[in-house]
Amino acid sequence: MRRRDFVRSLVSLFVAAKASRAQQRLNDPTLPPPAPVPWTLGLNSQTPIPMSEQADEVASAKLSFFTPLQMRTLTRLCNVLLPPLNGKPGAVEAQTPMFLDFLIGSSPEQRQKVYADGLDWLEETAQAKCKTGFAQLDDMQTGEVIKPWLRTWMSDHPPTEAFAYFINIAHDDIRSATVNSKAWNDVPSVGAEPKTEEGIYWLPIEPDVYGENPAYAHMSPHMLAMPKGGQKIPIYPR
Amino acid sequence: MRKEVYDVLIIGSGHSGGMAAKMLTEAGIRCLMLNAGPVADISRDAERLPASNLPYRGFRPPGRLEHVFQSNEFNANVWVDEQEVPYTFEPNQPYNWVRVRLFGGRSLFWSRQSFRLSDYEFKCKSHDGFGEDWPISHADLAPYYSRVERIFRVSGALDGPEQMPDGAFILDDDPWTPSMERFSDAAKSRRIPVCKQRRALGVNGLASSVNLLLPDAERTGNITSVANAVVREITIDRATGLPDGCNFVDRISRREMSVKARVVVLAAGTLESTRLLLNSGLANSSGVLGHYLTDQIYGAGLVASVPEARGRNGAKIMGGGAIVPRFRNIDAKSDRFLRGYAFNVSSLTGGLSPRNFTAYGVELEKMLEEYYGSGFQMTIMGEVLGRYENHVRIDREKVDAWGIPVLHVDAKYTDNEYDMAEDAVQVGSELCESAGFEVLSSNPTPNPPGYSIHEIGTCRMGDDRKKSVLNKWNQSHDHKNLFVVDGACFTSGGWQNPTMTILALSMRASEHLASEMNKGNL
Repeated sequence: MRRRDFVRSLVSLFVAAKASRAQQRLNDPTLPPPAPVPWTLGLNSQTPIPMSEQADEVASAKLSFFTPLQMRTLTRLCNVLLPPLNGKPGAVEAQTPMFLDFLIGSSPEQRQKVYADGLDWLEETAQAKCKTGFAQLDDMQTGEVIKPWLRTWMSDHPPTEAFAYFINIAHDDIRSATVNSKAWNDVPSVGAEPKTEEGIYWLPIEPDVYGENPAYAHMSPHMLAMPKGGQKIPIYPR
Repeated sequence: MRKEVYDVLIIGSGHSGGMAAKMLTEAGIRCLMLNAGPVADISRDAERLPASNLPYRGFRPPGRLEHVFQSNEFNANVWVDEQEVPYTFEPNQPYNWVRVRLFGGRSLFWSRQSFRLSDYEFKCKSHDGFGEDWPISHADLAPYYSRVERIFRVSGALDGPEQMPDGAFILDDDPWTPSMERFSDAAKSRRIPVCKQRRALGVNGLASSVNLLLPDAERTGNITSVANAVVREITIDRATGLPDGCNFVDRISRREMSVKARVVVLAAGTLESTRLLLNSGLANSSGVLGHYLTDQIYGAGLVASVPEARGRNGAKIMGGGAIVPRFRNIDAKSDRFLRGYAFNVSSLTGGLSPRNFTAYGVELEKMLEEYYGSGFQMTIMGEVLGRYENHVRIDREKVDAWGIPVLHVDAKYTDNEYDMAEDAVQVGSELCESAGFEVLSSNPTPNPPGYSIHEIGTCRMGDDRKKSVLNKWNQSHDHKNLFVVDGACFTSGGWQNPTMTILALSMRASEHLASEMNKGNL
């Protein structure tokens, strides 16, 4: 055999073996299919960022914490404490009652109790004084219930009497939630009208997965990353 | 196995660690700095947004950071998570431990008020018989204060009385506004000093370890820094019994690592440094490690209104601020409490908080408009007495996310602090009223201990090794190659923000350490 033929046969043997291994890889269900192009090809700083809206701007949430009666009382309280003024939306127009249902419902029990007891107290007081629910009281009647409990206060020290605590905290929360709503932000503020708070929002900075819940403190990151429900994650030997 | 032994291991990267790194590396010493948290990159990790774009409309995310009153939805991700690194206290004695583990620590976010301690603090026992004198005086620290003030570009006027020593300031010679003038006159009639505020201007708007200290250390080529290194314990050389490095865990991967060094400098923040010593079983032959925890009372104060400024007439009347340094127990002795408090005074030009009015709806909006730009605020910073009973210890029942035993904080205020806060509100109200201002709201109750983020003590310095943890060079009495350069070293507190003192002490201790190392004594 001439030397050239010998080399050619060696090369063809090598190519055939390689093709055979490649075919085996393609037929092996445990291995990922080869990508036609790198997954991140074309992603760069010029990549357009899709526009999106806040979910509560387009969708409704279900009442999850307050009872329907408590929500009617809270809605009336919101309307009394911060009604629409000078073209600015009021607390009800800013969806503040449903936001508070979400916020207070997610909060520690102590804060939930302040609101639940406070709203029940408003209803009981209205029934005792006016023989009707708080939600049906007129402005003068709501004033008779609320005004005796208004106090001035500063820093982190709200009044300590139970009803005064609730009324003044709720007033503060209702104002903050409304002023920081999109509905309020969409209407320019004039004069002393407060502006929607704006600031530097810090994203999670290398968040630690263990910190989210102490119950998972013993688990490794890849265990935490597993989908719930016992699905099997394919394993690729390396 | 790495054989490299660093000259100095610095644990912590805030003001005290940054200063130690700068001074040591500039003296030619090779340092390794470990920081428990990540490096923050403002361009990558933060963006400017309105609260209406956030899920909680700016409210603190529920259930998180219950003891960080300063937190909200914007900054919730910069504080140490109370679930990740918990601490414990008795239910009736809450403690607000406010922590940042980003590289640079709390130096990224501090309020910049920059005061020196005076000999009323350094020699407090000599003055009133309570507590212990420091082993140093203002004269010992004065040259270091001056150098720190120049680095941090502290603005102020040379108007301090003896209890507020002047420094190397960028001079503030702006005249008082009329509202401040009236307040100052009212105070002077009662021989209460009113001085210009003292504030670190920093560079490019920032006065942090990361822009004023660490770059100098990095320029020397003598520092190596590691982020996300949660130190588990300081290790001991069995042959000598001296600290020789530490074991740490990588925050993200949980990989256990160790490093060796000839000297260990603790700068992790008062309570983290002490926690590390307690968990390592070091530096406690005196039995006072963890004791004499103190801070400052915050939260008490008042809001007033300047009548002439109402109805949008405040443009030429309002604005500016002042510091009223401690005036109690200086010339005359108070029969209600020891030591004293300072007032932060602000003449406000913007809107007042609705909390100042017992009104709602249309009536409230009218009042907010009427009172706009007429607010005048006084808040206190009061000294908390250093008491043995106020202490931290290791809670053997609980560990953090990396299995490191956590701290139990046992600290409460006493009548001395409560009486001081009441006195402050009474005096502040009298001053405002005699200046012709209307007091709208006031609060005589301090916030819980820790709130001021000025926790100090627990590794107090002193000449007597039976009554202190450190000597006057911030060096452990028990282990000559162990230094604590953060606020833990304070023998006692004061009304002053502690940052300038922490920086000056760290500078002084680090120069001493460098000198001893270069002489071959360490």
